[in-house]
Amino acid sequence: MSHSKAATIFNKDENKVNWHDKALWFVRHKRDKSVHTVKGWEELRNLGHGIKAHTLSNLDNYLIQFEENAKKNGVQVHWAVDGEEHNKIVHQILKAHQAKKVVKSKSMLTEECHLNPYLEADGIEVIDSDLGERIVQLAKEPPSHIVLPAIHKTKEEVDALFQEHLGTKPCNGDPQYLTGEARKHLREKFIQADAAITGVNFAIADTGGIVVCTNEGNADMGAHLAPVHIACMGVEKLIPKQTHLGVFLRLLARSATGQHITTYSSHFKKPLKGSEMHIVIVDNGRTEQLSRPDFRASLHCIRCGACMNTCPIYRRSGGHSYDATIPGPIGSILSPGKDLKKHSSLPFASTLCGSCSDVCPVKIDIHSQLYKWRQLITKETPQPIIKKTSMKMMGNLFSKPLQFEKVGKVARWSLRNLPKGVINSKPNVWGKERDLPLGPTESFDEWYKKRKKNE
Amino acid sequence: MKVGLFIPCYINQLYPQVGKATIELLERLQVEVIYPSGQTCCGQPMANSGYEYESVGTCNNFVENFKGFDYIVTPSGSCAYHVKKHYDIIPQTDAVTKVRNTIYELCDFLVNVLEVKNVGARFPYKVGIHKSCHGLRGLRLGSCSEKVTEPYSHIGTLLKEVLGTEIIELSRKDECCGFGGTFAVTEEAISVKMGKDRIQDHLNNGAEVITATDTSCLMHLEGLVTRNKQPLKIRHIAEILNSVVD
Amino acid sequence: MSSRDHILSRIKAHKPEFIEEPVITLELFMDWKHVKTEFTMKVEIAGGQVFEATSNQNVTEQVSAMFPESKVNFSTLKGTDGFNTINLDAINKPHDLEDLDILILESGLGVAENGAVWIKDSQLPMRVLPFITKHLVVVLRKDAIVTFMHQAYRKLSCDQTDFGVFISGPSKTADIEQSLVIGAHGALSMSVFLV
Repeated sequence: MSHSKAATIFNKDENKVNWHDKALWFVRHKRDKSVHTVKGWEELRNLGHGIKAHTLSNLDNYLIQFEENAKKNGVQVHWAVDGEEHNKIVHQILKAHQAKKVVKSKSMLTEECHLNPYLEADGIEVIDSDLGERIVQLAKEPPSHIVLPAIHKTKEEVDALFQEHLGTKPCNGDPQYLTGEARKHLREKFIQADAAITGVNFAIADTGGIVVCTNEGNADMGAHLAPVHIACMGVEKLIPKQTHLGVFLRLLARSATGQHITTYSSHFKKPLKGSEMHIVIVDNGRTEQLSRPDFRASLHCIRCGACMNTCPIYRRSGGHSYDATIPGPIGSILSPGKDLKKHSSLPFASTLCGSCSDVCPVKIDIHSQLYKWRQLITKETPQPIIKKTSMKMMGNLFSKPLQFEKVGKVARWSLRNLPKGVINSKPNVWGKERDLPLGPTESFDEWYKKRKKNE
Repeated sequence: MKVGLFIPCYINQLYPQVGKATIELLERLQVEVIYPSGQTCCGQPMANSGYEYESVGTCNNFVENFKGFDYIVTPSGSCAYHVKKHYDIIPQTDAVTKVRNTIYELCDFLVNVLEVKNVGARFPYKVGIHKSCHGLRGLRLGSCSEKVTEPYSHIGTLLKEVLGTEIIELSRKDECCGFGGTFAVTEEAISVKMGKDRIQDHLNNGAEVITATDTSCLMHLEGLVTRNKQPLKIRHIAEILNSVVD
Repeated sequence: MSSRDHILSRIKAHKPEFIEEPVITLELFMDWKHVKTEFTMKVEIAGGQVFEATSNQNVTEQVSAMFPESKVNFSTLKGTDGFNTINLDAINKPHDLEDLDILILESGLGVAENGAVWIKDSQLPMRVLPFITKHLVVVLRKDAIVTFMHQAYRKLSCDQTDFGVFISGPSKTADIEQSLVIGAHGALSMSVFLV
């Protein structure tokens, strides 16, 4: 389904749209309040951008350095060219440990690779331990936001879901009670887990360590209790030096939720004595994106979600309308790189207002990339013949001033003289909820010429 | 100083009063304004729809018409931005570079080239400023709420000096109105919702008039206001600045 | 070709021309805020509390007064053995710590701009402790607070820590309708004692 179709369905319930829009605008507002207290914020963004651009330009060497250091630390490093290989690797590690119960903290990469169904097919229980992720897991839905996975769910919906799956009492959606019940339910899962899977926020070349950021403490509860910790990361998570975290940890949480830092920023370097730690480094289309000069900066992304919170379209269409692992503006420049045809409507799900590029903590030129994807999509995927021809006609018309004036005259006459019912009839989508201006009798052009004559 | 006036295609055909106000205002400020008769459009409608290559002829026509001026002024931030940002699809001749460097949105031209603030206008209404995105985040005609910078606004600077005008504050200072070119039609549901939300913000804060640097946004907002019979007037900033003291 | 070599060779072929690493100029960020005041404010924003104490003994006294109901306590502070109700050496696996009510740890580094304290392996008998405890108490020397994360990482650069964590406030979530709830999977409260 195209984005616009999904968005139209979402917009059938205007109250829900208003609710969704306000919830996310509130997060954007918290972000604003927080970043405005940071002196040199724009310089910090420049640094974030600069370090990421530098890293990509030397990524192979940094990955080699990272692997070397991680191995020295006693960590086992694996490489996967695609999602399938990633899933196999994780599965193998779990099998070697006879792990049947796995807790997983937030990782968009494992979503992208569809790891859960892969493991579940072999009878392995995978529990998403982030509260929002657990909610959508129980609802059998994908996350609708990368930082706030269940932002599309009302508290009443969560209440009903927990009653059904966790046996909670009806509570009118009391978040305090529901969170408390989730804590108890997941505590049990943490204690019983045979293995823990986490994502990676940053992988550091000069230490071989990884950093995982959470507010709930779920990554740590999993990783420190289970005998095996598997951390999955895309190649672009790398940063050269630990000191660079000074820049990125200042940017990340403020951009994401307006917090000055997440509650926990855990630096994993060596496995616990008697435990194992694995890192799976995944490509899955990233090196392809690296090969595209116009789009490679999309790999700078640190997954803060700020572009979603600020996007007026995302806020009013919901994350599921994008039908992609990563929704919103950043998803709309990443997804076409994976499957141009499937995601061809996403770069058009934007007014190119540019707010995404301005909130981005690593200054990805998101709206410019949306524009560039549009140019590619019209050439490389089948387009409606009517759109194609009308664009060609428009191009011709605007290159020939005389013709333009003639057509303009007819259009203005029609707007003035045709009944509203005809103007706003079905083929005119504009007129469904909007009036068109009343066509003026004379164009500016005609007025100017007359004025010249009278001078 | 020789100034070429660019009147965007939809203003030419549908909102000639905006073009008239622009030319009268500039002439009142002693600017020699010429309107080259062979102009049509900047090419944006095709380009933003993904058909940049169909706009090459339009771009060339634009450059042909405007290469001989010291400045090009247009009552549209969006068109000025398009010429500046996206005219990299045609060979970068001296003429093209010059056109890209000398095109100005009207308020930008008044504040930064003519260095005027008070244009001697009178407009006794409560006015809400809609900060059109391409002018704001593209041309930086004002500070953007996302960025940590000193606050400024060219349109605000000019409007503040207008006799009788009271500028109202909005809850969301610079959210997009949802026009977005063909977006207005291809993503009709969201486009309309965004426009309705913007209008409501202006109404909630007591605006009698909504103004902007771009008629495209205003056409979309006016379409909604008219259809829903809301108590708001829509005026391009050129029309307000040209409301001379009687 | 192995997947590793495949990925690395593709990156080598596709990466852009070398771009210099940017230099971080700390002066750009200096805002001259008062370090202790700022730290206290940021801990509070993060949902934690800041207290002052005169000695380790004084910390445990204040903590005991704060949580009169607590049963299972553990502190790593010197000379506070009387406070401890458990012997970590007798714990077979970290899972048995599930009932831990209060944990008192020392930190050697705090960050004013975000109220975070650094806890590292050597100050941590078991990694899971600060997460599994109900209430987390951290003792920090006032002169160990730096202004920004940049200075914090400069201090950490020669540190050979196997595991370390910045903690700012108690665990929290806002995953249900953006309502902030303190106490997700980790600690339900966090108190920092400045000495």
